[in-house]
Amino acid sequence: MTDKAEEEQQLGKVWDSPRGWAALSDVNNSVIGKWYITASFAFMLFAGVLALIMRTQLAVPDNGLVSAQTYNQLFTLHGTVMMFLFAVPIFEAVAILILPAMLGARDLPFPRLSAFGFWCFVIGGIFVCGSIFFDAAPDAGWFMYPPLSTEQSGIGADIWLLGLSFIEVASIAAAVELIVGVLKCRAPGMHINLTPLYGWYVLIVGAMILFAFPPLIAGDYLFELERAFDWPFFDVSRGGDPLLWQHLFWIFGHPEVYIIFLPAIALLAMIIPTFAQRPIAGYSWIVLSAIGTGFLSFGLWVHHMFTTGLPAISLGFFSAASEAVAIPTGIQLFVFIATVMLGNVVRTVPMLFCLGALANFLVGGLTGVMVAVAPFDFQVHDTYFIVAHLHYTLIGGMVFPLLAGVQYYYPFATGKMLSRKAGIWSFWLLFVGFNVTFLPMHLTGLMGMPRRVFTYGADRDWGLLNMVSTVGAFIFAAGFLLFLWDCVRSKRHEPDAPRNAWNAGTLEWAGKVPADQWGLRSIPQINSRYPLWDDKNLLDTIDQGRGLLADAAEGRRETLVTSVLDAEPEQVLRVGTPSWLPAMAAFGLGGVFIFATWKLWWLTLASGIFFLAVVLYWLWTGTAEIPEKPSKDIGDGRRLPLYVAGPRSTGWWAMFITMTGDLTAYLGVLFGYFFLWTVHENFPPAGVSGPGWQWPLVAAILAIATWGAMVAARLSNAAGRVGLARALIIASTIGNVFTALALMAGPWTSGLDPTSHSYPAIVWALVVWVVSHLLAGMIMQLYCLARSIFGRMTPAHDADLWNVTLYWHFIGFSALLTALVIGGFPLLQ
Amino acid sequence: MSPQRAHNEVERETGHGTDLWRVIAAPIIWALHFLFCYVFVAVYCEKAGRTADLFEARLWVMGATALALGAIFWLTLRIWRVRARSVTDDDFEFEHNTPEERHRFLSHAALMLCVLSAVAVLYIVIPALYLSTCR
Amino acid sequence: MGQAGRAIDDRYWRLAFVAITAVSLGACSSQQSALHPAGEQARDVADLFWFMTISGALVWCIVMGTAIYAVLGKKRPRSERFADRFVLIGGVVFPTVGLAALLVYGLSMLPSWTETEAPDLRIHVVAEQFWWRMAYEGADGVRIDTANELHLPLNATAEFVLTSTDVIHSFWIPSLGGKMDAIPGRTNVLRLTSSKAGVYRGVCAEFCGPSHALMAFPVVVHEADDFASWLEQQRRPAAASTGAGAEAFRAAGCGACHTVRGVSEAGSVGPDLTHFGSRRTLGAGTLPLTAAHLADWLVAPEHIKPGVRMPSFATLPDAERDAIVQFLLELK
Repeated sequence: MTDKAEEEQQLGKVWDSPRGWAALSDVNNSVIGKWYITASFAFMLFAGVLALIMRTQLAVPDNGLVSAQTYNQLFTLHGTVMMFLFAVPIFEAVAILILPAMLGARDLPFPRLSAFGFWCFVIGGIFVCGSIFFDAAPDAGWFMYPPLSTEQSGIGADIWLLGLSFIEVASIAAAVELIVGVLKCRAPGMHINLTPLYGWYVLIVGAMILFAFPPLIAGDYLFELERAFDWPFFDVSRGGDPLLWQHLFWIFGHPEVYIIFLPAIALLAMIIPTFAQRPIAGYSWIVLSAIGTGFLSFGLWVHHMFTTGLPAISLGFFSAASEAVAIPTGIQLFVFIATVMLGNVVRTVPMLFCLGALANFLVGGLTGVMVAVAPFDFQVHDTYFIVAHLHYTLIGGMVFPLLAGVQYYYPFATGKMLSRKAGIWSFWLLFVGFNVTFLPMHLTGLMGMPRRVFTYGADRDWGLLNMVSTVGAFIFAAGFLLFLWDCVRSKRHEPDAPRNAWNAGTLEWAGKVPADQWGLRSIPQINSRYPLWDDKNLLDTIDQGRGLLADAAEGRRETLVTSVLDAEPEQVLRVGTPSWLPAMAAFGLGGVFIFATWKLWWLTLASGIFFLAVVLYWLWTGTAEIPEKPSKDIGDGRRLPLYVAGPRSTGWWAMFITMTGDLTAYLGVLFGYFFLWTVHENFPPAGVSGPGWQWPLVAAILAIATWGAMVAARLSNAAGRVGLARALIIASTIGNVFTALALMAGPWTSGLDPTSHSYPAIVWALVVWVVSHLLAGMIMQLYCLARSIFGRMTPAHDADLWNVTLYWHFIGFSALLTALVIGGFPLLQ
Repeated sequence: MSPQRAHNEVERETGHGTDLWRVIAAPIIWALHFLFCYVFVAVYCEKAGRTADLFEARLWVMGATALALGAIFWLTLRIWRVRARSVTDDDFEFEHNTPEERHRFLSHAALMLCVLSAVAVLYIVIPALYLSTCR
Repeated sequence: MGQAGRAIDDRYWRLAFVAITAVSLGACSSQQSALHPAGEQARDVADLFWFMTISGALVWCIVMGTAIYAVLGKKRPRSERFADRFVLIGGVVFPTVGLAALLVYGLSMLPSWTETEAPDLRIHVVAEQFWWRMAYEGADGVRIDTANELHLPLNATAEFVLTSTDVIHSFWIPSLGGKMDAIPGRTNVLRLTSSKAGVYRGVCAEFCGPSHALMAFPVVVHEADDFASWLEQQRRPAAASTGAGAEAFRAAGCGACHTVRGVSEAGSVGPDLTHFGSRRTLGAGTLPLTAAHLADWLVAPEHIKPGVRMPSFATLPDAERDAIVQFLLELK
């Protein structure tokens, strides 16, 4: 056997998927990606059926098909599932599937984290969806406005809150994975200006998730404190304010629309150049507008609150930003059209879906420009006009591009082609059905039909329009069924798709058909944006193993880590292998959220401990492993280290990104403090004393000392003074405990009762948030100590300490800020 | 195309300083300006009452706008020095595989984001031009 | 926009309006339509709507036409420069200018009045699950309580002072103008100016629970004199304070929740019924007010309006219930 054949056999052995029941323990991105996509589509079908029931109910006036209570569960669940279990996860799913191949990586940097995210998503999704079969589904709308939602006696709202908090964990896990993937796992030579546009979009959307989802987590945190422990953040009678929730919800909710939309547009940015058979005309335009959209989308949230009675000038600011965001959004569409103009178009089914997407999204965009004008929104807000608008943006801007993407990437994912005929038929059914459903709704809304009504009187004259919409909805559903049937029907007797089926230029099409588990045979040097078009020898280089990292001699799964801007190879990263640990951890964490729904606190605690134990075992055995040799030959005469710590390592970036999200959530809670201050004449309210300044001052000093000790521990460990480092870690752990105690001492000794008023409640909410993070920090410190003692962390191999120190930068900062705010702010007034 | 040939085509070294942080500097200025305007006016109206006159708040908004535009202008000047088209074709495609080209690309993106951010800042002040009370 | 400009504009928009509505609206009801304005704010917004819709449709046609031509049309070689210019003009310059203009025009409709501009009439509205408590502020500052039906004088500006006691609702009369939320713990103010007499319909626009769909109210816009006499009539206590009906009303305990001024004034949980018989609807716009509907309502309110707080009076003897129905209908 030749060397090359031996290499290939070894690669196959290393990357082979487990079989039988053990297949469920797989973590490889191409497997997890497909599971993830399938699960998202399953949830979408479920929510689609809910929509059909609603449309049937509304087909005729005064219909009695479902009761008001059921109808309210239907639309709440429809919105919730479509948003949280389809639109956002499908982005993560598709990205997990195609991103590594596109960047020339063997896998994402944290495959087990992807698997963990997937299992969280499935467990949480089934939990939320299943509730409707027990008549226990949430029924206060997907936006869960208090006080309607806080005063409900059932567990619907708890299922919503806890189930979705759990799913948000999955989203943030995916964001971490994908950001690090784009920044650090590109093929050598793939400078940031040569990165496929999809990578740019993933990077931007990942960053948006970090700033958009945490405010909702903060909102969920306050909300659940109110529901479970009666802390009155939103209860007016005790100094709360329902608008606080609306702000936190929509600071999440509006960027979320773009978090859904941008990854779908990213698919168009890959598909259109392929079928125009030329590079995108305006790469920089796209990057600019994607970044611009990402930013501006955070300045729109109040346009969901135009009728809440905020000052007109505030509405004006948000109207202006909502119009401004149309500029970068539009630029992207113009670049697509320009690309088509310059190229020679190949007329294919994916292109048909692209055109359909453009036609529909444009309507949504234009009505978006209309509703962004606040006075117009006063009329149409909460009417069917908005229902029409949002479905045009989401179905036109997300579903149609996604279906174009499914058509386009089907041969990549499965090695078979979809039927052209079925594709064209399903397109027209979808396109016609969609427009017949939603175009009349603009008029229905202007004729005064509010949203979320379970029925309407015959004298309203909305009957005909609603009947048309209902008929359209069933045509749309038929189109979807045809599309999905074409995807899932057996194609065993059909020939395999040719390699690079569409003659595309980007790297993901370099793979063989059927695809290899390990991705590319060897990782090539990249010199252009469309390497398959520009470098005719590329496939040979890859296939004959003349690229980098052509072997897996040590029997480990490995991928290349490169530098952020210029993709210089930096490290050979050993990635996780199949394991039951991610699924076990997901079940443990799922238990925490699910048992908490029924307030079964002992079981919640037990699940939490189980989760912690699994995670610690996972980290201990699977991360920051000291390699058997310091470096490895990757071919082409290059040697790369196998172990990297600090800012050049993927783990450090993952911690940085996670903690950025976590800090955002903390700032969300802190926003609650200042928001409540603005609505009160006196804050703390008259007759209530704050926590005083003495204990918070002590806490601040202790936090600085603890933080400093941690930094000193890392420095002295790196300098080889292991004993001193251990002592400093112990000192820091003790300081940590006292910081927590001092923080709690303020409100405790001054007798602040969190159930009495929103002021003590928000002070305690801040303190509890920080204290729980200190507790987590303590576990990390003890973990580092143990790693040091057991020889898994040495002066030269100190990734754990780097990452825990980084954690401390964030948590030290928030402890300090909390102490300053609760102790210092009352003194300012 | 080989790296050697491209290297010959570099007529003018443009530096290498532009990184992802500088690209997002202008949008961050927009975000800070937007947050300031919104938060300042919201707190002002909440504390002064809804019948209050906005004159003072509008002055602050205008001041912040001048500051934001100034900062964006300063950023623009710094990036303007790069004034770069592609290494290869004298266009804005930036398809080449060198750090120089990457730097030019990021500078170009940063420059255009400066323009977009300035437009967005100007949009934000439109309502402050003619609304005079906290209604 | 000057008066002359406005008049021309109006004619133009009305033409477009007639053309389009003739096709699409047919003979539809105009009681609750933002496209059939009967108030100044609604008319401004309707104008804005037609302006934006027509410009939007134009933009859509141009962009889609270009896209379809690009896919299907004959190929001409074009340069990257052409693409750059195309994106610059179509994607940057045109939207920037167009959107700025729209913003200036649209935002000019934002409410912006000073305290010196007093409204002609002030009405305090408290939204509750699932009905409306309404109180007219008289010239003497005395409030006249009523519920679930709004009367307004023609060509006058009414100020609605909105709040809620339970969950968030939204007060919306499409024919007169935009909506405003009624939020517990907050007081919002909305001003609407009627410009056409008639009967319209207002609704709750913010999802507020099971019977959100059944929370509405008729809006009657009268000539000023008619309105004054209506208000004067509302000021008076109930027409019939004695008799079998009133007795049955008291005996059944209706007074625990409902006030009928002159008969029973202790109840404040449910709607004020002092002039109930003069109202057009039952159950806050749920059913037309007739004896049969009212009898059904007393028997099974939950069936008609899910989640309503009104208990069933099915156990009451038929005669007594009929007496109550008669009594209530006579409260003109």
